[in-house]
Amino acid sequence: MAASIYEDFKQGHSLGSGDRLAASLTPIAPAEYPDRLRAFYHSGSGDVPDLHRTLFRNHKLKLPKQEQAAWVDIYTAYWKAAGELVKLDDGTEGASWSKVFDAWKATANALIRGYSTSSLQAWTLPCLYVIGKYLRLFAMRADAEQPSQESIGFNDDLQDDVVADFEKSAKLEEAARIMNRMFTLCLSDRAPIEDSRKWGIYSTTNLLFKTYFKLNSVGLSKNLLRALNASSADTPELEAFPKSHIVPFEYYVGVIHFLDEKYAEAEQHLTYAWKMCHRDAFKNKELILTYLVPCHIVTTHTLPSKGLLAPFPRLEKLFRPLCDCIRKGDLVGFDAAMSAGEEEFVKRRIYLPLERGRDIALRNLFRRVFIAGGFDESKNGQPPIRRTRVPVAEFGAAMRIGTHADTKSRIDMDEIECLLSNLIYKGLMKGYISRERSMVVLSKGGTAFPGTGV
Amino acid sequence: MSNTTQSTNQAEASQQPQQQKPPVLEEDDEFEDFPVEDWPQEEAEQANGNNGHLWEESWDDDDAGEDFSKQLKEELKKVEASKQ
Repeated sequence: MAASIYEDFKQGHSLGSGDRLAASLTPIAPAEYPDRLRAFYHSGSGDVPDLHRTLFRNHKLKLPKQEQAAWVDIYTAYWKAAGELVKLDDGTEGASWSKVFDAWKATANALIRGYSTSSLQAWTLPCLYVIGKYLRLFAMRADAEQPSQESIGFNDDLQDDVVADFEKSAKLEEAARIMNRMFTLCLSDRAPIEDSRKWGIYSTTNLLFKTYFKLNSVGLSKNLLRALNASSADTPELEAFPKSHIVPFEYYVGVIHFLDEKYAEAEQHLTYAWKMCHRDAFKNKELILTYLVPCHIVTTHTLPSKGLLAPFPRLEKLFRPLCDCIRKGDLVGFDAAMSAGEEEFVKRRIYLPLERGRDIALRNLFRRVFIAGGFDESKNGQPPIRRTRVPVAEFGAAMRIGTHADTKSRIDMDEIECLLSNLIYKGLMKGYISRERSMVVLSKGGTAFPGTGV
Repeated sequence: MSNTTQSTNQAEASQQPQQQKPPVLEEDDEFEDFPVEDWPQEEAEQANGNNGHLWEESWDDDDAGEDFSKQLKEELKKVEASKQ
């Protein structure tokens, strides 16, 4: 049976359970008690002495005076926010998400005040997480709302795109500034680590990451990383934090590097997120792989196995055609798969790294030429050595296969030389082109196509 | 149940992996909150049994044999012919 808001408050304090306390501040009604928020709202009057009596005296809860005052402040604001939610639920005229957000913002500010005046202890941090979480959700709801009549009238002359864009996420921007204060509140706490708000740094960072991504200002995330980095000396190591804090953190840091085209760093963070992620968190695992697969293609030139993608049909559909074409060296197929998936690739911002897979497809095509070339005759019983002098024309012929060229189309040998020197430059092939002989002279000793065993 | 409580409830429910309801408040491509705060290593993806073979080499030596050689020779003739 779900407890009332007051009961959770009391139990949270007597058990010293931050989660139980945070449950009290969760503005959604549990399924078993759908009227919980409504009951809270109707039981009170918003009157401070009244609330004080209900929170403390009636429950025989003894807390320092300053802390009591902080909680009364928070619950006064919370009661008003509950009222806005109830009104919205009832379809009361004038009720809106925008009003819910404003009331919730006041709750967040009261909570922040409680921490910054040192009235609240660090074990209550889950309250900060839950208030922050709903601050963001209510802000997005409010931004998605149709602007009210009066604001339309007011903005009539200013309706250009800039204003519209700004208006579109005004509440979320506001929420971001408050969440930033929450983050600073945690990061700058100098209390001994057992009772420090430092344990909240990753949780608040994750909230901000989500928000900055939504606002399309990923660049702002880097300020957070710089701040975290600057205080890393007195921060516990990552493994000491709960996995629900560090998995999203590592995911977002990975994606930030990914968008900067720093694929090796991205791969490191995403791999960590992947390994630590809860095995049943399907959606999150799918998101991690969405970026980890392109990273692998770029950095280690490896492709996802059937087993890896099997549980994720959406990813299998997204990546498999590309991977098959890379493996076969099918350039036409690769281009077709790229354009078939283009919309989704662009939306997920993975188009650029995936495009680099074309070089690998080309490498594999040329590698097959090398293998088809067989071995030179061995001398004095030495093990046979692959033929390392390959006419450019053979690579031209391979290009005809890879591009499904028809009989009439001509292959331009200069273009083939250009493709070859490009692969050599990128380290995917080792050797040089002898132009006067129209030959490619490849490196001997299993290094002609580095890392591929030949 | 009335609208608001219902929609917010669904947002919460969507964070449970076992529930597949479309999220209401959460964004489609957003990292979801985990239903629990922490979990033992045994419940992490790393401990999943099928983790042995995740990534494969990008080339395939199996079908690089006879067929390709034959095809290559044929195409080579066309390349040589077009040079003249």
